Amino acid sequence: MKYRDLIKLSFRTLRTNKMRSALTMLGIIIGVGSVILMMSLGNGAQNLIVGQVASMGSNNIYIEPGSPAGSISQQTIDQLGKVSLKAKDALAIAKDPNVEKVSVMIYGNGIASYLGEDKKITFMGVDSASMEISDLSIMSGRGINDDDVNGMTKVIVLGHKLAGDLFGEDDPIGKNVRVKKLNLKVVGVLEEKGGQIFQTFDDYAYIPVTTTQKLLMGVDYINAILVKAKSEEVIDQVVENARIVLREQHNIYNPEGDLTKDDFKVMSQVDMANMLTQITGALTAFLSSIAAIALVVGGIGIMNIMLVSVTERTREIGLRKAVGARNKDIMNQFLLEAITLTLLGGIIGFLGGTLLSFGASIALTSALKSTWGFTIPIGAVILSLGVATAIGLIFGIYPARKASKLNPIEALRHE
Amino acid sequence: MIEVKDLRKEYCDGEMKTTALDGVSFNIQKGEFVAIMGPSGSGKSTLMHIMGFLDRPSSGIFKFEDQSIEELNDDQLAFIRNNKLGFIFQFFNLLPRTSVFDNVKLPLIYTKISEEEKNQRILSAIKAVGLEHRIKHLSNQLSGGEQQRVAIARAIVNNPSVIFADEPTGNLDSKSGQQIMEILQDLNDAGHTIILVTHEQYTAETAKRIIKLRDGQIVSDETVKDRKIAKQGFVK
Repeated sequence: MKYRDLIKLSFRTLRTNKMRSALTMLGIIIGVGSVILMMSLGNGAQNLIVGQVASMGSNNIYIEPGSPAGSISQQTIDQLGKVSLKAKDALAIAKDPNVEKVSVMIYGNGIASYLGEDKKITFMGVDSASMEISDLSIMSGRGINDDDVNGMTKVIVLGHKLAGDLFGEDDPIGKNVRVKKLNLKVVGVLEEKGGQIFQTFDDYAYIPVTTTQKLLMGVDYINAILVKAKSEEVIDQVVENARIVLREQHNIYNPEGDLTKDDFKVMSQVDMANMLTQITGALTAFLSSIAAIALVVGGIGIMNIMLVSVTERTREIGLRKAVGARNKDIMNQFLLEAITLTLLGGIIGFLGGTLLSFGASIALTSALKSTWGFTIPIGAVILSLGVATAIGLIFGIYPARKASKLNPIEALRHE
Repeated sequence: MIEVKDLRKEYCDGEMKTTALDGVSFNIQKGEFVAIMGPSGSGKSTLMHIMGFLDRPSSGIFKFEDQSIEELNDDQLAFIRNNKLGFIFQFFNLLPRTSVFDNVKLPLIYTKISEEEKNQRILSAIKAVGLEHRIKHLSNQLSGGEQQRVAIARAIVNNPSVIFADEPTGNLDSKSGQQIMEILQDLNDAGHTIILVTHEQYTAETAKRIIKLRDGQIVSDETVKDRKIAKQGFVK
């Protein structure tokens, strides 16, 4: 029997049972659709994060306290208690001729109040360079400058959204905000920075780092050092030099450069991007595999319907055998019917998933106020259509074999 | 053309052993029109199934065109059914919701002849049973007599040497039944060998020879002296 005839035949059979075919396909449609959606969203998230990390400036190096060893969650827990970084470490790193700028940061949480209006905030102790390296621009007033840091002045710069939340329509410049029993004078408001996934600069308050350390928190450590290299080419050298300098500063004897012995970690933008890519990749794989369960359930539905179909069409099978169909012909016919069902379901599911992903990208773009790229990974297309076909084969083979083994006389007598 | 010698067929159903054919022997020549008669359970259907290469005997010899059934595997049996035999059933066995054209085409989809020749053969088979005007109709839109004519067209589309008709008029009114027998007699005149299984005497008498079976054995094998010609009409 020719394959063209077989394909025509299976389409005709599926058409005669439209409702049943559609319902059977639904499992595959949902399965493939959700796998596509998950993979597309995962890919979009990855692109967005990598893009954002890159936009922070590819010349930037980020230094945190804590050992780089261990899992990501372990590192996060570790760093909470780490007090190893000091402002003088930053000064030592700044001596590297390949370094353009070094800044320090400390952050904490507290309540900011203005005229009885309370708001929980995250405040950042910064110096003049950190605002520049973080690419924060002033909308009105001024930023934190060197005089503020040296003089430990009681001033504050508000993120765009925070300013709106505390002051509404009023002009905040010159007004006093109370943070942790300390009156701080608002000297500037930042421009709106837009949605970021891990950081919402618009919600933060910026205070001179010395003021934050001594007057707000009563500590002498810092949470991070931000280093800007002179060019992308010298990044690796700057990273290596920063490690050597910090080991010297912290009295760590580590001539082999074993990173697990350090009490700090130095990350370039590339390292951060890689780390985030790893996280989103794992998340995507996890969600996709949950979606794939729907595919297996769909496959079982296909097998069920094919078995019903074999029983219903027993006489037809007997007739086909009587007029000369070989076992192989019957087997191929039923197998192809199952594959047609799953492949068609796969294509519809792919189109549906693509449409949903596109809708989601539009919704996410407006919700996050930053461009969420719509992508359908080519791997997802091949995977879902391949899996759909494979499911047709796997779950179709048992009913097809059953049909092909029917005795023609008994099949013809079947009521 | 067909040689049957001491043919036996037994069915085992658990402990029970049923003998359907108990030593049957006869020959059928090319161009014959043979009716096999007998009450139900006489073994006539079993005999037709073996002669139609749908079943294998328990013992004895069955040869078709000098080829013994024992020498053939299942695919070869399918090939013979497809190329040398045509089947007509009591309940028509047409594909439901499928056009007359596609129903007649059924045996040809398992052959390797060209699409052009297929179409030609289908059209001439449909013409032979007088259903040209119904070619695009679906099988369930036809009357019983018309459905059986479609089945005949399907049986002759591969130009078989033997046509098996199992109670072809059993499910039809007398007028339609007469039309069917008319077509079968015409096909016989055109050179097809026809083997008719029936329990109706008047239908059997349209054949040239009647083999009567009882309890799996032949009780008589005679030439019909006063053969009925369906065209001239006969009363049921």
